[in-house]
Amino acid sequence: MPRVLTVLAIVVAAGSRLPAQSAGDLLQQGVRLYQKLEYDAAVTLLRQSLARRAPAALPDSQRARALSYLAATELFQQQRDSATAAFRELVRLDPRYRPDELIFPPQVTNLFEEVRRSTKVLNVEVPPRTELRARLEWFTARLITSSLQTVQVTLAHDDGTPVRTLWDGPVADSLLVKWDGTTSDGGTPPEEGHYLLRVAPHPATEDGPPPLQVPLDITQVAPDTVNWPAPPTAPPLLPERTSATPALGSLAAGALAGGAVVALPALFGRSGEATGARFAVAATVSIAGIVGFFAHQPHPIEANIRANAPARAEWQRRVEQVKVENAKRRGSSRLLIRAGPVTVAERTP
Amino acid sequence: MRVLAATCALVLAASVASAQRRPTIGLRADAFMMWVHSDTGIARTSLRGPGFGGEGRIGVNGWLFGLGLLEGQLKPAGDAGGTGSPQRDLVQGTVFVGGRLLPWLEMTAGPVVRAYVTDSTTERWVFWQARARVDAPIVMGKLGSYLEVWRALSSDVNLPTGAGRIQGGEAGVVFQPPQQRVWLRLSYRMDDALLGGPGGNETMEAITLSGGIAIP
Repeated sequence: MPRVLTVLAIVVAAGSRLPAQSAGDLLQQGVRLYQKLEYDAAVTLLRQSLARRAPAALPDSQRARALSYLAATELFQQQRDSATAAFRELVRLDPRYRPDELIFPPQVTNLFEEVRRSTKVLNVEVPPRTELRARLEWFTARLITSSLQTVQVTLAHDDGTPVRTLWDGPVADSLLVKWDGTTSDGGTPPEEGHYLLRVAPHPATEDGPPPLQVPLDITQVAPDTVNWPAPPTAPPLLPERTSATPALGSLAAGALAGGAVVALPALFGRSGEATGARFAVAATVSIAGIVGFFAHQPHPIEANIRANAPARAEWQRRVEQVKVENAKRRGSSRLLIRAGPVTVAERTP
Repeated sequence: MRVLAATCALVLAASVASAQRRPTIGLRADAFMMWVHSDTGIARTSLRGPGFGGEGRIGVNGWLFGLGLLEGQLKPAGDAGGTGSPQRDLVQGTVFVGGRLLPWLEMTAGPVVRAYVTDSTTERWVFWQARARVDAPIVMGKLGSYLEVWRALSSDVNLPTGAGRIQGGEAGVVFQPPQQRVWLRLSYRMDDALLGGPGGNETMEAITLSGGIAIP
């Protein structure tokens, strides 16, 4: 009778303080009552802490702690089914969680192990963003199971067409599945697109955990290539051909002087009359201009070409180096993999 | 007279040259064929004939000093022009001073004395002349062309009509063998001298073949 009254008093007192207490406070009070062996009150407070919804809900780590104490409290109150249910929820929440053996006695931890072995839970953790060089680096997915299971991990197109099986075997506790970014046919990187990472028990059973899938958005990142080295220019290169300007200048000089010879009587004479002999001079001068034009035709300057040869060879060597480097970079294209949320997939027959 | 002028010019050139360390000297010899057309308003005559000439110049600190002399024997040209025209001798002396303002531009000025001499008379022109010469290389150091123009600043002639304006020009081509100081030149010149009043003019044409040497 006094025990009932105590519970009622605590419940009433706790109920009056509920609006002002957070889920964390309720958890701490529940733990203290558990330690004082006041199990009825502890169960009430622990259930209240677990009942809080977001945003006031407990974080997963604290939720696992609350479930551990709740299961232990229920067990000490001879409520084995309730304890089993709490531990089953704990296993589903975090398959890798283990109650502290320094806090809880063996009868509690033994029950937990029994529940864990009988509760098949499968989970997968994928980094939200991975960038890798195919065949050289890895995309990883961590499989987590509550107990030994055979699991198949498959990369598939978003329509379900398999691309590559990444793992098909037992997983006792956790396993890091790696993918080198290539497909099963030819070892080439997959085309850009939407893919699914399917994680499923193998074979599938009705009472087994449901299959999971993670949407993957795969894009190929164009590798940065090295710029071509700038070709040598003048200066510092010496000109390797003569300019065409002197040729035109020579032609112009001859033409103007020849024209001047012809035009002198008209320019300076009163009547403009003159002998025709000047045309011979004009022709000679014009021919001289034509000779100069052809003499100044652009031609290679061998000495300068020889002087420039080392600089050109050095440039060509750097070009070849860049060619090799760029070919190497293009050969190791990078994949950018963006992972979406883990969702439960439909069971396949 | 000609000898006096030439002597004065030489003395002047020599005195300037002595004050300089490294003067440049140029000498030139000309052989030409000349045509002279004379129109006095009353009569028109045409003469032609060969001639020879020469020029010496000295360059000091960018200044040019020089003198030139040419002589020719002119005879009536053809049947029509030659009727009644006496033979003339042409003598012309030139003194000039100037400089090369730009690598391609040379400007000079100086007096010119020109005389047409017959057995009985001498027609003498005296005028101060300004000249500008533009050089345009065709093949650098080997072949070049040039154009030279001139105009008299003042002029006088011992004719009753007096002298009018005198102007002219010359253009040609210069060939210098590689690594040589000598050069050859073929040119054509036209010089037109007006007589005063309605008097007419005297036009002189010449095709000249020249050879020269430059002494650094």
